[in-house]
Amino acid sequence: MKRMGFKEFLFILPALLLIGIFSLWPVLQSFVYTFFDYRLNDQQKAGLYINERFNTDLFQETALYIGMFLDEDKKNITDSADLEKVNQTIKRLDQLAKAYKGKEKVISISAEEKKEMTTLYEETASLVSSLVKKYPLIHKEDLPALTEDLKNSIIPSNFIGLNGYAKVLSDERVRIALWNTFFFTVVSVFIELLLGLGLALILNKAMVGQGFIRTTSLIPWAIPTAVAALMWSYMYDGTSGIMANLFQWIGLVPDSRDLLLTGGGAMFSTIFADVWKTTPYMALLLLAGLQNISGTLYEAASIDGAGRFQSFFRITLPLLKPSILVALLFRTLDAFRVFDLIYVLTGGGPGGSTETLSVYGYKVMFAQSNFGYGSVVVMLMFVCVALIAIFYVKLLGANLMEKN
Amino acid sequence: MKRNFLILFGLVVLIYLVIMVFPFFWIFITSFKTSGEIFGDGAFRVIPQSPTLKNYTIILFEKGILNAIKNSFIVATTTTLYVVAVATLTAYAISRFNFRGKNLLLGLILAVSMFPQMVVVGPIYTLFLKLGLLNSYWIVLPYSTITLPVAVWILVTHFNQIPLALEESAKIDGATPLQTLYKIVFPLAAPGVFTTAIIVFIAAWNEFLLTITMNANERFHTVPVAISFLRTQFEILWGEVAAATTIVTIPTLIIVLFFQKQIVSGLTTGGVKE
Repeated sequence: MKRMGFKEFLFILPALLLIGIFSLWPVLQSFVYTFFDYRLNDQQKAGLYINERFNTDLFQETALYIGMFLDEDKKNITDSADLEKVNQTIKRLDQLAKAYKGKEKVISISAEEKKEMTTLYEETASLVSSLVKKYPLIHKEDLPALTEDLKNSIIPSNFIGLNGYAKVLSDERVRIALWNTFFFTVVSVFIELLLGLGLALILNKAMVGQGFIRTTSLIPWAIPTAVAALMWSYMYDGTSGIMANLFQWIGLVPDSRDLLLTGGGAMFSTIFADVWKTTPYMALLLLAGLQNISGTLYEAASIDGAGRFQSFFRITLPLLKPSILVALLFRTLDAFRVFDLIYVLTGGGPGGSTETLSVYGYKVMFAQSNFGYGSVVVMLMFVCVALIAIFYVKLLGANLMEKN
Repeated sequence: MKRNFLILFGLVVLIYLVIMVFPFFWIFITSFKTSGEIFGDGAFRVIPQSPTLKNYTIILFEKGILNAIKNSFIVATTTTLYVVAVATLTAYAISRFNFRGKNLLLGLILAVSMFPQMVVVGPIYTLFLKLGLLNSYWIVLPYSTITLPVAVWILVTHFNQIPLALEESAKIDGATPLQTLYKIVFPLAAPGVFTTAIIVFIAAWNEFLLTITMNANERFHTVPVAISFLRTQFEILWGEVAAATTIVTIPTLIIVLFFQKQIVSGLTTGGVKE
């Protein structure tokens, strides 16, 4: 082993950059998002504003229109004191608009400026509302609405601290999604482990056509999950799907339409599809472990009079434990993050009965454009994943890192 | 007893193979059915009564699946090339040099492979939005989140298996570092690098979440996303889906058929300690 110098550091620099920019920075950034009410579809919340900001574009436009409308309505205002006030307001709006001329979009403002802006808004609002009551104005509907935009151009801080986390704890939909995720993960990984172990034992036997079986097993793993999910949704279709009718025929479901249209049926369907797609992968991971167990152990055991079952439970399982744990770790995390399969197959339905945390997080972020709350949901998932990983790594001991 | 066991064994294997292959077989058949036969009485007929190629012509010439395949090839190939290059350098350094924070780096790479992808999507979306990179091939850069950790992990195992003594004796025999790299390390590492490339390619080919969020524009859809959009407001176009699935499964099928051994060894060395 050589010591690391500058030249060696260059070897790992590209990987560090990629991981830093596209893995670590986003995680930190997501964490920051969780403290804000950050919505891309809301002009006042489309950024992370710890301090007050000022939307100059909106203000310029609003000030211009209020001035114009008040000007046009002057002829309806008979009281000279009111007319004086109107003139003053127009003048002040004009002055402020001039002061911010040339500045674009959202800028930060001082507390004084904010106060000036707020009093201007309050005075204008009270003036407008009294005018609307007293006189038959042309713009009696537009003026109050426009005045509101004066307030909107002051962007309040959307820092909400831990409120997002408080909300997530009391969110019924999150509770259901969390339960669905756990249920899906535990059941499908458990079935995959049993079937995968069986398949690995079969594959481990020297036999004709082993290569063929391996190749066939790899195909479900290799095709895109989204495509597999669509394939299954066709076969699950209540009226013309072959699997749905097959299940009904063998009595697994009472009615073929129950499969995708009831909550339990939909959950069963997603688990079945997931088991179909990933059991072979599980089997391959376990197969590698099996092949490392020396055959002499079995010979010795059979000389000592151990039966097939005894040698399985006394030799195979204990020696396979590290491989099983590693395979379980990766499969559990994969199942916990499940997205494509459910998003394409059921979309989280019917009625949220198959909605997992990642599907819910995706919907909040990209369907509702609510990045703040979506990040909280995703952070919850992140914490769960970390806990699962820690749990397995504890079970595994130092095995995982030892190999280097 | 022995005979019965063998028959049972064979039966189990056969059933397993049928379950694995049946969905593909059924999709293949469906792709030749007319929409009248996909629904209704003909739905469970194995041999279509009036086989048609219409689904294929629609999918190829009207729905632009060729464009999606092109996108997938561009995206998956680019990802494979740069990720394998970066991962090779990193894995070589990890395997050959001793440096402070090496275990930290390995732990970090392992941790990144465990991140829920959903965590990184939001910030990367806003980053790409600000930089104006949405709907472009730049999407290959965030693909590294999914592929780089796996690639490094597999390659480190491979490099560790190449004895250091070979490099040292080459040096003693008077080879320059560059010669050592070209004549000893590369040829020995090539199979491992190739295996990694296949696995990275398949992972990138199958990617769904990043593409559906960043590249909403149809022109940049990759195969999995394009196929998931083969629906109208009220129905999924099963005939076209079946035809598209058949077409896009063929490249995967070929890769798996030819490189089955490499893929299996790559998957297992990446995941399991020996």
